[in-house]
Amino acid sequence: MNSIDADIVIWLNGLSGNVKVFDDFIRITASDYLMPLVFSLAMLGLWFSGKTPAERVRYQLTMLMGISALSIANFVVWLINISWDRPRPFIEHADQLNLLFYSPTDPSFPANPVAVGFAAATAAWSINRKFGLCMYAAATLFGFSRLYAGVFYPTDIVGGAIVGIVIYGFTTYLRRFLEPLVTGFVRLIRGLSAA
Amino acid sequence: MNTDPDVVRDLFASHYFLFAFLASLGTLQFVVSNSGTRGLWLTPYAVMTRWLGVGLIIVAIALFFLQPLWVDGPWAAGSVEADSLTREWGKASWDELAGARNVNDIDGGLDGVKQAIWFSLAAISAFAVSAIFGTLSVKINVIGEQRSADVLQPENADGLAGLANRSYLSNLPDSFRNFKSDIGGVWRNGINDAEGWSVMKMIFGKSSK
Repeated sequence: MNSIDADIVIWLNGLSGNVKVFDDFIRITASDYLMPLVFSLAMLGLWFSGKTPAERVRYQLTMLMGISALSIANFVVWLINISWDRPRPFIEHADQLNLLFYSPTDPSFPANPVAVGFAAATAAWSINRKFGLCMYAAATLFGFSRLYAGVFYPTDIVGGAIVGIVIYGFTTYLRRFLEPLVTGFVRLIRGLSAA
Repeated sequence: MNTDPDVVRDLFASHYFLFAFLASLGTLQFVVSNSGTRGLWLTPYAVMTRWLGVGLIIVAIALFFLQPLWVDGPWAAGSVEADSLTREWGKASWDELAGARNVNDIDGGLDGVKQAIWFSLAAISAFAVSAIFGTLSVKINVIGEQRSADVLQPENADGLAGLANRSYLSNLPDSFRNFKSDIGGVWRNGINDAEGWSVMKMIFGKSSK
């Protein structure tokens, strides 16, 4: 008997194959390249977007925290992966799923791309609520597309989102250990006319 | 995969760099046109620069995902729906285009670290191109408005603020001079304001007093 987790992914993935345009849209949003680039561009854009020097410094410090959170979130996901090797849904339910993506070989829990997306979205949300919500929507779409494609369980997505948000909070806390190194770094980049 | 993963990886790296470069350039243009940082504009006009930015982002995405139609790669027609292990080398068909880029990193796709490296290089290149074209935009703006850049420049403006009406190269010496004169104070104030358990305060606290 399947768990609710598996039932959801099997039901959702069962909708594939009916509307090709929608399946193609999912294949593109699930890609390793589109959404991660969107998150990176959001960081780049916020770095340059402040209108006053004080606002710029605040944005840039937050973006540095966001970038650090992405790296730490990757590390935390790896730590969880080596402690719990949860099989992917397309392996456990191969006969019930129509895989729309390549077969990843790493463990299913937590969803690494979602953790990265939510860490970036939380950084954006902390300086601009509207833009942050758009980023959360993009990260959710990324997670949904991987779920629909049969690559993750819903709990992997939720786990990834929690890891991303918590790690961003932890990174802002960690910054206090390293001050004034972080502020000095932003000042150096300003000295190079790029901040 | 019936192809050497390193060959696939090189192909993906070159395509991804172009994708990231055009998209970064577009994002940069969109943002700096809103914040008035003329020293980084590709054109002398804000509205034109903004729309150019939007256009570059759209072109970047379209180019990256449409390229398999005319460039040979691990997406030959008839092999894309299969797992990335069993793909053939060739051009993709329209029907399989959406899944063409979905190649596992162990089969030649780019993993997160490689994407981060290529994105950083692309973003730096986009900034450099913006700074070069920004020099022309500032000159045209100054001539057009019949005003001197010095008059437009707020006192002590440096960094991105200094690029509002100055080219990158004319802004750089002032920015770096200000950095050299400020950094000592920034560091000392930072150490004083840091909380007691700051690693930097523990190491440098006494020597900064």
